[in-house]
Amino acid sequence: MIRKKRPETLVPRMEITFVTGKGGVGKSAVAAAFAWSRAEAGKRTILVELGERSFYKDYFALPAVTYKGQNLRKNLDVARWSGLESLHEYALYLLKVETLYRLFIENSVSTALINTAPGLSELAIVGKITSGPPRNVGPKLPYDCVVVDAFASGHFMALLRAPQGMASAVRIGPMGEQSRSIDRALKDAHLCHYYVVTTPEELPVVEGIELANDIQETLGLKPTLLLNRLAQFDGKCLSEPPGPLKDFQDHLVSLDERQRRMKQTLQKTGLAVQELPWVLENDPFKVVKKLAEVFSHD
Amino acid sequence: MIETLQSAKVIVCVGSGGVGKTTVAAALGFLMAKKGRRVLVLTIDPSQRLKTTLGLKDTGEISQISHPQIKGQLSAAVINAKKIFDEFIRRAAQKDELAEKILRNKLYVQLSTTLSGSQEFTALEKLYSTYESGNYDLIILDTPPTKHAIDFLHAPQKLSVLFNEGVAKWFRRNPASEKKRGLAMLAGILQAGSLQVMRVLEMLTGSEFMRELSDFFRNIEAWQFKLEDRVNTVHRLLVNPDTHFFLVTAFDLAKLKEAEYFGREIQKGGYHLSCIIINRAFPQWLKLTQVDDKARTPVSKGSRLVNFYEEMKRYYQERDQTFELFAKGFLSNSADRNFLFRIPEFDRDLSDLKDVAELAQLIEDNETRGKDKK
Repeated sequence: MIRKKRPETLVPRMEITFVTGKGGVGKSAVAAAFAWSRAEAGKRTILVELGERSFYKDYFALPAVTYKGQNLRKNLDVARWSGLESLHEYALYLLKVETLYRLFIENSVSTALINTAPGLSELAIVGKITSGPPRNVGPKLPYDCVVVDAFASGHFMALLRAPQGMASAVRIGPMGEQSRSIDRALKDAHLCHYYVVTTPEELPVVEGIELANDIQETLGLKPTLLLNRLAQFDGKCLSEPPGPLKDFQDHLVSLDERQRRMKQTLQKTGLAVQELPWVLENDPFKVVKKLAEVFSHD
Repeated sequence: MIETLQSAKVIVCVGSGGVGKTTVAAALGFLMAKKGRRVLVLTIDPSQRLKTTLGLKDTGEISQISHPQIKGQLSAAVINAKKIFDEFIRRAAQKDELAEKILRNKLYVQLSTTLSGSQEFTALEKLYSTYESGNYDLIILDTPPTKHAIDFLHAPQKLSVLFNEGVAKWFRRNPASEKKRGLAMLAGILQAGSLQVMRVLEMLTGSEFMRELSDFFRNIEAWQFKLEDRVNTVHRLLVNPDTHFFLVTAFDLAKLKEAEYFGREIQKGGYHLSCIIINRAFPQWLKLTQVDDKARTPVSKGSRLVNFYEEMKRYYQERDQTFELFAKGFLSNSADRNFLFRIPEFDRDLSDLKDVAELAQLIEDNETRGKDKK
């Protein structure tokens, strides 16, 4: 069932980036921008969203975002991976016999079971993300970069912990073996990178730091903090005579103070902090391009 | 909106994560307590500061909130999913020994905390048990942070599928093969086709996983019907005319489209969507109607402050136009425009009791102004 190991030198290093954070901080736009910058740099990139309903379909006005993936521009595909579809693909890969596979996926009871069995769906998703050369198991993904617009805080940790949890509950058999191999892949600093997105506000920063600590504890890897939506304005705005814009200036003064304070709080964690500007545009493509510029300067 | 709040028995606040559901739920509760009603706000995962000022305990006990403006009664509690699920199992299993067996099952340990559906189920379970107590005129439920709010309504059904006969009977013990484990024990009770499916599943997952899974299903047999029963009773409460859904959403096109889709789903499901609250719709400092020239004088034209103000204003005006388009399309089927409600963006996080009171006041003022216009 397990494929022969291929010599690692022949396989170009794949790069997997998980983007998470509190809900509403702009994770999806940041993930898209990061994927965009990688595609610009000539890497074959796939931007992956998880869950039941597509965000990028509306965001990029695409006809559909499917499991297989939809091309957005040169070197960049967008896909939505669900637990059920990931497991189906894996089943086909292992079973090979089409009829047996059919019997399995067309059975309503097995579908219901896959949907509800604890942790199975999460495991299937991380299995798919790390499929191929990273683990020498599963079909190879034809990409250099996989960028995952992952779940928000708590749900994301459930995703990361699924392989560990399953490995400790089930030690013997393919399930245990797979779980351990996925867990190893997630902890591989050369393969996986974790971005925690926050905005310069109290709650997202507090939750973001908690999440970053949880990731460190669970995987032993240091995530990067992304401080998104930082308002960019000239310091003179704060000192010019405001005239009728007194309210606005007061707002900027308090915003400036809050942004400084949040930056300091994030820097105290000792983790790498990257700042992203608040792009005052409503067109998603403009926002993504602008943010991608920041990533391409790295 | 206030009229709805005054007659409602249950308000369910739904929306994607990060849109400010918890604060809005607390403000609505505060407003009604101010008007003399006995209100309970059930929240999930509130911020530390809100917890501290409201005196909320992680254990899930109900705490009383005092504030000079409150004429009725304002209570609040945090929903502790793990605890409620465990309690439900203890009650349903009746025999302690059986309950302990379930609580120790390795898969249950994962199920009660991570399985999609369990958090939603426990929220509804808590809602129903407090509703049944009759201690409150109004219960406001702040729903779990699901990526897409619609999951909240489907989750309990999804969970009950796990316990329906079709799945569970696979794993039940066959008295004739008491001593056999894993697939062998199932051979006697399954049809050939299903058995093959199980073989495939065992091949994919291994026998130990199958053993844990079958243990799990055998143990939950006792409370399977109770759970299904509970899911049904809760469903009846949710479609009751005195139960209103308030959809809270953020202010950008993707989120609004999501809200539109969700609004349709709520109505399709037979629930009553009574209000859409758009949170952080526009900043407090910005008056969209303000005349530009007024803003320019007496500050000089090259002023950085004016330029930045204009840039921000253009940004928000564009959003406002998007919103108008959205509202037109969305409300074409609905006669009542009043059910859209916009809350401005504050300069700070709204997270303590003072902020909650301020937000409640703002909702009340807005509503009175709306009435005067009519």
